[in-house]
Amino acid sequence: MLKKMKVSHLEVSFNGERVLNDLSFQMSAGEMLAVIGPNGAGKSTLLKAILGVLRPQHGTVLLDSGKKRTVIGYVPQSRAIDEETPVSARDFVSLGQVSGFLPWHSASERQTLKDIMAFTDTLCFASKPVGRLSGGERQRAFLAQALVRRPDLLLLDESTASLDPEAQIRVMDLVRRAARDWGVAVIFISHDLHQVEMYADRVLLMARDFSLTGDQETILNDPALLKKAYHSAETRIYPESGDGSRMGDVSFSS
Amino acid sequence: MFQYDFMQHAFIAGTLIGLMCGITGVFVIARNLSFVAHTLSHIGFAGAAFAAFAGIDPLAGLLLFTLTGAAGIGRLGVRMFRRDASISVVLSVALGLGILFLSLGNVQGNYSSTLLFGSVVGISLQDIWLIVAISSFVLFVLAAGYRWLKFDSFDQTGAQAAGLPIGLISVAFLLLLAVAVSVTVQIVGALLVFALMTVPAAAARFYTHSISGMILFSALIAVLSVWFGLTAGYATNAPVSFFIVLFNAAAYFSGMAFQMLLERRRSAADQSR
Repeated sequence: MLKKMKVSHLEVSFNGERVLNDLSFQMSAGEMLAVIGPNGAGKSTLLKAILGVLRPQHGTVLLDSGKKRTVIGYVPQSRAIDEETPVSARDFVSLGQVSGFLPWHSASERQTLKDIMAFTDTLCFASKPVGRLSGGERQRAFLAQALVRRPDLLLLDESTASLDPEAQIRVMDLVRRAARDWGVAVIFISHDLHQVEMYADRVLLMARDFSLTGDQETILNDPALLKKAYHSAETRIYPESGDGSRMGDVSFSS
Repeated sequence: MFQYDFMQHAFIAGTLIGLMCGITGVFVIARNLSFVAHTLSHIGFAGAAFAAFAGIDPLAGLLLFTLTGAAGIGRLGVRMFRRDASISVVLSVALGLGILFLSLGNVQGNYSSTLLFGSVVGISLQDIWLIVAISSFVLFVLAAGYRWLKFDSFDQTGAQAAGLPIGLISVAFLLLLAVAVSVTVQIVGALLVFALMTVPAAAARFYTHSISGMILFSALIAVLSVWFGLTAGYATNAPVSFFIVLFNAAAYFSGMAFQMLLERRRSAADQSR
């Protein structure tokens, strides 16, 4: 279980452009942190920096789980699935069980796999190839693969963006149960502020020129703040639009 | 036919190579490396021709060239190497070099033919031990790194997110593939390594949806194809490689027909609901 996560003064550049600038926040076990903000604000870059895929130029990501290595689960919005190689959902989930040297899984690993698949409600299509699953089933299989490693921290990069509302709720309910029951800390990126309102304990608002962490009520109930965050992106993407009227697909709750 | 030593040797060597190619092939297919395997076999041809020119053991020449080639591919990045143009250039250069070394070495025609099309006749006991050692090494490394290799081959995004060293896995697999290709070239020839390394694995995907099932089917098809090739070749005096390819192609197209039949039944069942 994650005792503490501390991101301090993080600076990350990507393709020569500084994407994250002096970003700091903390979180603890069982907490669900929503990351919101306009496109290009560096939300996915933040997750990649936490995963260690991108190296920060400055600042640190401290993960304290009391273990030698903090286990991080990651669920992206979509994944390249080779339709020509029809791997069953069960095999796909079990790919996550990488610790151990024997090629075959032990009895306890098989039990864990079964438990996680029951938890994520993926047992019903366990023998179906991943390429033939519906969007919602696929995301649950991806989530199961991340959870089978018993992560301390779970990162969701717009994991439910392509799903219908019912499938979104199903996936996010599972994520919340994992956070509440097992103490998994969750960082999820979302453009759906209603979803953020439903599931987030706290919110990290990332704009191109500032970032802010706070309770979800404080941030979501401040339309001026949200407008400022999204407007700063608008003026850079559409310089001719100065009135903030073009807000793309983002909806505000006030 | 088993009263002849050369047939006994051919069956032992062929079985081990079939097993190794069948298992390795599943990862070759999953990692989209079919043409890289094909290119490595041509690089191996140049290596064996170089060995004839330099007067060293053919396997040493094969390993020298394929391992160097695999390291080069790993360094350039597999993704870049998957481009048609890059493959065409390297294939052409490898074949050109092979022809040059054969010419410089004043090598006899049947040696070139053996390199290109393989030979099962004349496998000595010493060769068998070498094949046992090398194929055991390849299978042992595959078994030891199975979980990492499997994750990275079938879901690279997940493997990278899980913190696996995907660059290292990629290079290590290419080097292993180079070793496997080098041994296989000696038996089925540079032109047909492709058949034994990729067709059984491609066929296996039609019969099962589990990774261990694919490995099992692929190994079985590869070994059976070698046995069929040796038996039919012995009976008809026609090239063994032809029968190996024939068996593998039959397994592939039967699998395709089997899957189409399943699909048709599934859609009929869906419609009747």
